Amino acid sequence: MSGLAERLVDGPCVLLDGGMGSMLLARGLAPGDAPERMNLRQPEVVTEVHVEYVEAGSDAVQTNTFGANPIRLAHFDLAERCEEINRRATDLARQARPRFVIGDIGPTGEYLPPVGTGDVVRWDEGFEMQGRALIEAGVDALHIETMSDLREAEVALRAVRRSSTEIPVMVSLTFDRKKRGFFTIMGDPLVESLTRLVSDGATVVGANCSIASPDLRDLAAEAQSGVPGRLVFQPNAGSPETTAGGIRYSQAPEEFAADLAPVAAAGAAAIGGCCGTDPRFIAALRRRMDGDQG
Amino acid sequence: MFLPSHDEIKRAIVDGDVDKARSLANSLIEQGGDLLAAIEHGFSAGIRKVGDLWEEGEYFLPELVQGAEAMKAAMEILQPALATQQGAQEPKGRVVIGTVEGDLHDIGKSLVGTLLAANGFEVHDLGSNVPVATYIEKAREVDADIVAASALLTTTMSVQKSLAEAVVAAGLARGPRVLIGGAPTTEAWATEIGATHAENAMRAVGKAERMVRSHD
Repeated sequence: MSGLAERLVDGPCVLLDGGMGSMLLARGLAPGDAPERMNLRQPEVVTEVHVEYVEAGSDAVQTNTFGANPIRLAHFDLAERCEEINRRATDLARQARPRFVIGDIGPTGEYLPPVGTGDVVRWDEGFEMQGRALIEAGVDALHIETMSDLREAEVALRAVRRSSTEIPVMVSLTFDRKKRGFFTIMGDPLVESLTRLVSDGATVVGANCSIASPDLRDLAAEAQSGVPGRLVFQPNAGSPETTAGGIRYSQAPEEFAADLAPVAAAGAAAIGGCCGTDPRFIAALRRRMDGDQG
Repeated sequence: MFLPSHDEIKRAIVDGDVDKARSLANSLIEQGGDLLAAIEHGFSAGIRKVGDLWEEGEYFLPELVQGAEAMKAAMEILQPALATQQGAQEPKGRVVIGTVEGDLHDIGKSLVGTLLAANGFEVHDLGSNVPVATYIEKAREVDADIVAASALLTTTMSVQKSLAEAVVAAGLARGPRVLIGGAPTTEAWATEIGATHAENAMRAVGKAERMVRSHD
């Protein structure tokens, strides 16, 4: 056992990594191509990104498999290589020598009626395939993330649990701030949804993407007081802005870390960054977390 | 049978009741109701209310989509009847819409398409992961007034720029304008690439209406 399970249940906060897509774009990923293809075509680049996060202080890195479920891969003619991609991505993360490797599982990109034409049976098969591939490749935990529909998160959680009841599984939903509180775009409310995922067998539950770190402090306070389990948070670095040099996010690493470190200190199981964050943000968080503890 | 009241019509849309919206549209036609007034004070009032409830955070995506579906179902019945009553109705404009190549996010774009259709535009929805060349080809084929492109990822936003450039370069007959949207997109980004920005699906309708008006 890697010890991650114990750590997530009652150990010190695990520092995750930050954004992957923008790092890969800066290193040659063609806009519009699947980031997961890099695991096959330019594996050294993927490892390099993981190494940067490990050097910045990440305790755990997450595999470059956000879109590596067969439904999403099919759009890039990669569905048949689902297992291979997840296996390779796990090896690449491991090569960076992090303390822990977490298998990343993102949404299918489909929605259930009336919004879309998604089908839970296909979702279930897809998540089972991806989850099993990651578990067999030896990840220390799974992170089902950026889910905007509680039902899809539950399908994914149940599907991966069929491969292992032991492995720690973190599940993060994406919330927006509305007048009445925090909800997913489908209308799933914060505390009720996370509580339900805990009872469905998630080891740790939380929120990632969309919400920037100032809003996240409020979200975290609400979740920490209402959800019966430990939490994970990976917010964005503020909101996206376009500049002459391309897209940037509005927050500086120090600002991000100042918002997020108290969330870690308040007992979160794991924290990290989502869109717009890079190793500088993780390094800033590491400094604050170590300062808080020492 | 009574002529459906505007309140009853509005309620069917706010409730997202597709069957009810259809049957109300049919009974309006059968009983010779004032279709334009029913559209303005019943159906359109309903979809505006749905939009308000969404902006207020009372409605979420499923309710918003369901309301738009009810509106669309009624308009499919009413538009041909209107054409008979009032002579052929020209659409407000022709829109080619899609999510850019590499991006599979479909809902925001589909919602914009549905709302535009519900508001009298002729909409050609190309789906998601659409290559720039496909937009141009379709825009040429249908003589589009607007090319609308969604991007939900910071990694695919740059494709909107390529599209805006390609639309200009293609020298299409009506010189279509480009409308963009998606979570990471901003007004500044739209300005930089020479496009119009819609911050959400409801606002996209108003923007599109202004785009075609300024076009004539």
